[in-house]
Amino acid sequence: MLLALLLCYAGFTALCLAMDRHHVELLGRKASLRRRQGLRLAGWLLLALSLWAAVATAGWESGLVEWCAVLMLSAVLLVMLMPYRPSLVLSLAGLSLLACPVALLAQ
Amino acid sequence: MKEGFRQAMAWLHTWAGLIFGWLLFAIFLTGTLAYFKDETSHWMKPEIPARSVSSDVSLNVAQNYLEQHAGGASRWLIELPTAREPGLSVRWQQTPTQRGERGQFTEKHLDPQTGAEVQGRESTGGEFFYRFHFQLQMPYPWGRWLSTFAAMVMFVALISGIITHKKIFKDFFTFRPRKGQRTWLDGHNAVGVLVLPFHLMITYSSLVIFMVMVMPASILVSYKGDVRGFYDELFPASTTPQLSGQPAALAPLAPLLEKAREQWGDGRVARLTVNNPGDASASVVLVRDGSDRVVHDFGSAVTFQGVSGQLLGATPQASLPRAIAGSFFGLHMGHFAGPLMRGLYFIFGLAGTAMIGTGLVIWLGKRQLKHAKAAALPFELRLVQILNIASMAGLMLAVAAFFWANRLLPLGLTGRADWEVNAFFIVWGLSVLHAVVRPGKQAWFEQLALAAVLFGGVPLLNALTTSYHLAVTLAQGDWAMAGFDLTCLATGVFFAWAAWKMRRAGQVEGVSRPRAQPMALEQEAH
Repeated sequence: MLLALLLCYAGFTALCLAMDRHHVELLGRKASLRRRQGLRLAGWLLLALSLWAAVATAGWESGLVEWCAVLMLSAVLLVMLMPYRPSLVLSLAGLSLLACPVALLAQ
Repeated sequence: MKEGFRQAMAWLHTWAGLIFGWLLFAIFLTGTLAYFKDETSHWMKPEIPARSVSSDVSLNVAQNYLEQHAGGASRWLIELPTAREPGLSVRWQQTPTQRGERGQFTEKHLDPQTGAEVQGRESTGGEFFYRFHFQLQMPYPWGRWLSTFAAMVMFVALISGIITHKKIFKDFFTFRPRKGQRTWLDGHNAVGVLVLPFHLMITYSSLVIFMVMVMPASILVSYKGDVRGFYDELFPASTTPQLSGQPAALAPLAPLLEKAREQWGDGRVARLTVNNPGDASASVVLVRDGSDRVVHDFGSAVTFQGVSGQLLGATPQASLPRAIAGSFFGLHMGHFAGPLMRGLYFIFGLAGTAMIGTGLVIWLGKRQLKHAKAAALPFELRLVQILNIASMAGLMLAVAAFFWANRLLPLGLTGRADWEVNAFFIVWGLSVLHAVVRPGKQAWFEQLALAAVLFGGVPLLNALTTSYHLAVTLAQGDWAMAGFDLTCLATGVFFAWAAWKMRRAGQVEGVSRPRAQPMALEQEAH
């Protein structure tokens, strides 16, 4: 469940950065079209990967339920962090990506 | 055309949400609390010890006790302890004096290790929230009908809300704090959209749970009006076998647990029914605990002959439609959820409650702006304001009062469990009176502040009235008990913050009334 959560959070952050308004908000500048497309692709890939991570460890039945739960949790977390602790948003996303291999080994 | 449709949906969302918002807020809050039903009961009946004893040991204890105390009963019911519900409860039914009558039930709680009777305090425990969540403290079947109707309205409000929300993807990650009405609307949209899978699941599944009640037509037609026949077919009857009159000793029950597990391949036994104990015709029904899977299996059971221990029968594998209904049931109830998942269920339930609450606040806030300069609100807005305060802050106060009553009411009071529930409703009623008497902002502040004191004081109250305070429970690792205290403390801190915000908002307004919010809002939130 941890791996799925980390991947979800990173995925949503990428999808968020793929939007002009939030890119400016978090990084202070506009992104090129290519960069935004790359972020969007990365975001969807990470979300798909998190689905795999949840289902691979818990099976379809519990895996899907757990995936939905971490999906909602990570999105709420991201949206609540952004206005109050914007600097934390990106560092947390980086940290979760870094922690992914550890979580994979711990599974 | 498209805008006209959206506007119609916005109208529907606004009014369905307002009229049923107060009721739905209470349904969502109590439902959320019911996810920790067993833990709440554990806190409210602290005398029942939390011990980790194997099912075999507790079943032996139960059988010994029943053989000594209920030898002549027509039926025994044994509820085995689980990790969440540590109590071992036994019930037995006296043989009815006349045929066709229902025998008297007696219930006892036992210490699963020693077999001694546990004299717990009389309390409804977390069961109260669970029951209120769908029965609304109304006589059967009115409460169920009303809550099911509310669920339908909730479903309508969700769908119309999605249609009304113009920028569902563009504003997906948007929350702008400290901007008055804008913030409320952002918050309403954020908890609505981000937790939407949960909202849809919980609302739709509640309709599935009561579908037989709401839409009995298909059953009535297929079974020619014989509803009983439908249930007999759905749940193969566990009818009591004919009494033979020959006394025979009951086989030890504990080995049957392993036999039942073999039948299922996995799983554990939740409860046992022993029919005609002490008679040659005795039978033992072992019912499976559904909490190891998401898909709830209604009453999967195996039956053994009570004297020889021979397998008599097992319920067949669930059919696909039953498995689908079972999965909605399982998802709604969350019996399968471990501590982590249960916590998430709780959080999402709170998000749903917050979505309804913010919706109610927005409805009033938007209309209040027009009367910002007037001395008093028009009657209908004042009415909504009073109902908002009492249904939200007042309900919180009632919940806190329920917990306080559990600790403060004398243990020997007759009808003690009822008085706990009475305390809940008396305080809720008083909160309505208070909201009527005091001006809006002041009433909000006072009720929130009182809620902060009551919830924050729960750990202290617990320490003063029982010997199960935080220092003890944390050291023992009794996480249900400690978690309850800590959650109440956190709730108290949250309400203190909310009350402080309310006070500050009131003062700022007193100095200079805020400028009217941007008009763009008008078109977005109907």
